[in-house]
Amino acid sequence: MRDVRPDHLRQVRKPLPEWRRPRGHGGDTRHTTGRMLGVLGLAACGLVVAQALNARKPRPRAEPRAAAAAKVRHGAMALAGSVAADSLMEHFRGGYCNDAMYLAPAVAGTALAATAVRPPATPRDDAVARDVAHAASLVTGTAGLAFHVWNIGKRPGGLTSMNNLFYAAPVGAPGGLAASGLYGLAEGRLRRAPIMPPRVEGRLLAGLTALNLLATSAEAGLLHFRGAFQNPFMFVPVTAPPAAALVLGAAAADPAAGLRRLARAACWTTAAAGAAGVAFHAWGVHRNHGGWRNWRQNLIQGPPVAAPPAFVGLGLAGLGALDLMDIRDEGRR
Amino acid sequence: MPLIEDLEPRARDGRAPDVFSHGDWVPMRCYGDAEEVDFVIVGTGAGGGTLAGKLAEAGFSVVAMDAGPFWRPLEDFASDERHQDKLYWLEDRLSEGDDPIALGSNNSGCAVGGSTVHYQMVALRFRPEWFRSRSLLGYGHDWPVDWRRMWQCYDEVEEALKIAGPVRYPWGPKRGRYPYREHELNASAHVLARACEAMGVDWAACPNATVSAPHGKSPPCVYRGFCKIGCATNAKQSTLNTFVPRALAAGAEIRDLATVTRIETGRDGRAAGVLYHRDGEWRRQKARNVVVAGYSIETPRLLLNSASPAHPGGLANSSGLVGKNLMVHANHAVWGRFEEEIRWYKGPPSLAVCEHWNYADDHKDFFGGYAFMSQGPLPADFATTVADAEGIFGMELRQRMADYNHMAGLKIVGETMPQERNRVELADETDPLGVPRARVTYSMCDNDRALSDHSVRFMREAMAGAGGQQLFTSEGTAHLMGGCRMGFTPEDSVVDGDGRSWDVPNLWVCDGSLFPTGGGVNPSMTIMALAVHIADRIKTLAARGEV
Amino acid sequence: MTDRFDPPYPGYDILAKWDSVSFDDTTRRVYADRLKDVPERAFFSETEWRTLNAVCDRLIPQPDRPDPIPIAPWIDRALAENRTNGTRYTTMPQMREAWRTGLAAIEAEAQERHETAFSDLTAERQDALLRDVSNGDAEGPHWNGMPPHRFFRSVMLNEVVRIYYAHPAALSEIGFGGPAAPRGYVRLGADRMDPWEAPSDRRRR
Repeated sequence: MRDVRPDHLRQVRKPLPEWRRPRGHGGDTRHTTGRMLGVLGLAACGLVVAQALNARKPRPRAEPRAAAAAKVRHGAMALAGSVAADSLMEHFRGGYCNDAMYLAPAVAGTALAATAVRPPATPRDDAVARDVAHAASLVTGTAGLAFHVWNIGKRPGGLTSMNNLFYAAPVGAPGGLAASGLYGLAEGRLRRAPIMPPRVEGRLLAGLTALNLLATSAEAGLLHFRGAFQNPFMFVPVTAPPAAALVLGAAAADPAAGLRRLARAACWTTAAAGAAGVAFHAWGVHRNHGGWRNWRQNLIQGPPVAAPPAFVGLGLAGLGALDLMDIRDEGRR
Repeated sequence: MPLIEDLEPRARDGRAPDVFSHGDWVPMRCYGDAEEVDFVIVGTGAGGGTLAGKLAEAGFSVVAMDAGPFWRPLEDFASDERHQDKLYWLEDRLSEGDDPIALGSNNSGCAVGGSTVHYQMVALRFRPEWFRSRSLLGYGHDWPVDWRRMWQCYDEVEEALKIAGPVRYPWGPKRGRYPYREHELNASAHVLARACEAMGVDWAACPNATVSAPHGKSPPCVYRGFCKIGCATNAKQSTLNTFVPRALAAGAEIRDLATVTRIETGRDGRAAGVLYHRDGEWRRQKARNVVVAGYSIETPRLLLNSASPAHPGGLANSSGLVGKNLMVHANHAVWGRFEEEIRWYKGPPSLAVCEHWNYADDHKDFFGGYAFMSQGPLPADFATTVADAEGIFGMELRQRMADYNHMAGLKIVGETMPQERNRVELADETDPLGVPRARVTYSMCDNDRALSDHSVRFMREAMAGAGGQQLFTSEGTAHLMGGCRMGFTPEDSVVDGDGRSWDVPNLWVCDGSLFPTGGGVNPSMTIMALAVHIADRIKTLAARGEV
Repeated sequence: MTDRFDPPYPGYDILAKWDSVSFDDTTRRVYADRLKDVPERAFFSETEWRTLNAVCDRLIPQPDRPDPIPIAPWIDRALAENRTNGTRYTTMPQMREAWRTGLAAIEAEAQERHETAFSDLTAERQDALLRDVSNGDAEGPHWNGMPPHRFFRSVMLNEVVRIYYAHPAALSEIGFGGPAAPRGYVRLGADRMDPWEAPSDRRRR
């Protein structure tokens, strides 16, 4: 295409290197990036499955409570990572018109850092710092919930308008940050000497996780409803996690071995669904007009690639809870 | 923009353009001119395109012709208003009367897909009472189709087009959920919401014929805002990318750039086929049935031009009503400047709607109703509105246009009364193919003016309530309806409730010209619903051996 | 009305997006034609051409542009190709004839009032004359029965305005966000804009 722009504009940009130049027709969607991301998502999914298979192999165990704590930490990490990336992008969409909007990605990023580093086997000075970071997540997440509700309320149509629930500040999203904070605090507790039997810790954590699963599933349900469940796989996050919540809740109420086994499977399924969700969402971005080549629009407008890992986090947290509940059984054996 | 006479037909030799591609094709079954097909359909817009798809899927042999070209939106549609004039019927038509109407870009398409290629995608249903407006509301004429039947057909059309609509629609009887969810409201739609809340009336996200999630090969809408001049992404659901591909897949032949100038009749008085002009040649297609779907001007024009010794006043015109009772929609608007930047060029132009005055019967000094929608005209479109409405030009106009990003507006689709004096006739002058041009006569009646005045008063107050300043009003018309009314008897109508001519049993009409009354909503959904209804009736009648 | 124009979005140029996903090849092609292939006069006579250019200069004055957006050449091109707009009011002659009659009538008006060619009148006199035509206050035998205001608003002003606001420079001037394919927009709310749109109105910053 001949460049007919005025000279001063023509000098703005050097010609693109061959590999970056648009090929063929301008409006075409590009497949390559979409496929690559799809593959990456599938790989992530595979990792979760591999870890699941791995976990079934007998191996020398660390102290069981510490092992459970590690799972909970990984759960908190996945949640924090998901919120950090998602809020960074969504608040960018919102133009950071309110300074408080910087808080969410900043706090989530801190929480991510606090959970990403493996803590020393015995609690040291940094334990308090970690607790502070997680408490900040909890507070920010909770405040965020309130802020989002207030924000919707002041728009035309208010809280009863589906348009606001679909497209304004997402009601439930900051809950992910609060949950990450809760799991981070729980992990800190698990690193310290128990003040209650691990079984009870496990049941509390399982109950909390069941509630979180329901809430997150409701959020996914709302947004997938907005997408009219146009792809049958969109039903997965509104079926698998509630099922896991049900079984996990039941196991919390009555930690029978059978229920715990079932809950374990359900939690692995939820985590795997979360990982697969990334791949599906990457595919969804590609299906938007212009595909990944139009990423500046489609990453924001397409399905949020960063959202599904929340289910990975909750699945891992549920597994941590189940590990804790297993501890008594092992003691009896 | 290419001149239409320089274009060559694309759908031929066993293939038709794949509208979802750059330069690709889909296979197409082709029929010979001498092969007597079950149906030849003249026009592939909301009526003809839909009917072609439905009839082909029912197993009939179908050839559908359109005077316009067969575009591939991805490669043919530019983000440019002037270039996209190629979508309109720009051949001269004569316009007269007390209130002569503008024709072309605001109401007539010329392409495979017809006006649905450039419609505003507002996907509203008729109010149920309008199908019996004479009996229940005291004006106009009753329709020979029951509203419940029509609502079934709306369901089918909305499903086929994956209409993106609100979860709760505030007006009318309970309806099933729209297939897709409403779009995010843009700032212009929020102005309508605020305006309605200021006036204490309901508002809703406007059901739109552009997808809010992927559907088949259609990606979700990217909110580029060029919808009205041709969607270059295929998110918009027109017959071009819905029923026409379905028709092709089911074995119909689409002939683009094929202008039908005459319906030929046999010695028995029945339609025998059509005479058409394509690629520089005059040809005849034989058919067992002829369906006219050229919309309210070309349909009457074709019928009138098909006069013969057996039908001296024009085909299907024993009632003398062919071309009569032409209706438009009043299209008055109130515009205002807002302190904030609205940037109404983003998103489908009408994302919010108020149908209050379609459903309220009290405190009205007029018959009929109107809906109003939020607006998002492109720059040249709005500049001509300002220039025409305010009569300004020069630097003043440029300064006014400097506020383009601060503007918002409400525009009505207002019902006008059917009047026999509003009509389509053949002029003495002929077009380049030698066919007499259409002469369109239109005059408003007192009720039409009362309705428009009411709407302007209401919208001015509403816009002021929403914070609009420097308000001004524009007038105009949109859409066409009527001209070949459907009805109950051969005396009061051109066709029966199945769209079938009273005079010529194998001649059908399937487009907006069937409307006995206009309603206060955009007509496309109703035209498509009628096409679904007629297709079903043809299937039933054919099964009984009555076609 | 002065001929000063206060640009709300100085420095914003939609052509800067030429290489981006806001442009597709189809639009690039159309814009390239518009910017580079400005047609030569083919339809109007030299006199008509002079009047037309003078009229265009008043309908859309562009003293602020060193390189004004060409308008008359596109009117000429459309008429040379015998394009119409789908509507001929029965009070109006065919499009070509309407333009010829209209321009001749404006010229005759100028001669009658000031004994000077329209193109040689002062801007004030040109504006006053055009305003009278627009308001229908310029009836006369040289209009050949064509209603002056109908010609002025429905044909002449309409076409001039459509041509001007189809040009990228005019679109940039008003802060239009397009072209927009394949990339559209994400931020739809009031006072919200994507990085590829014009930054907010200078007069409000």
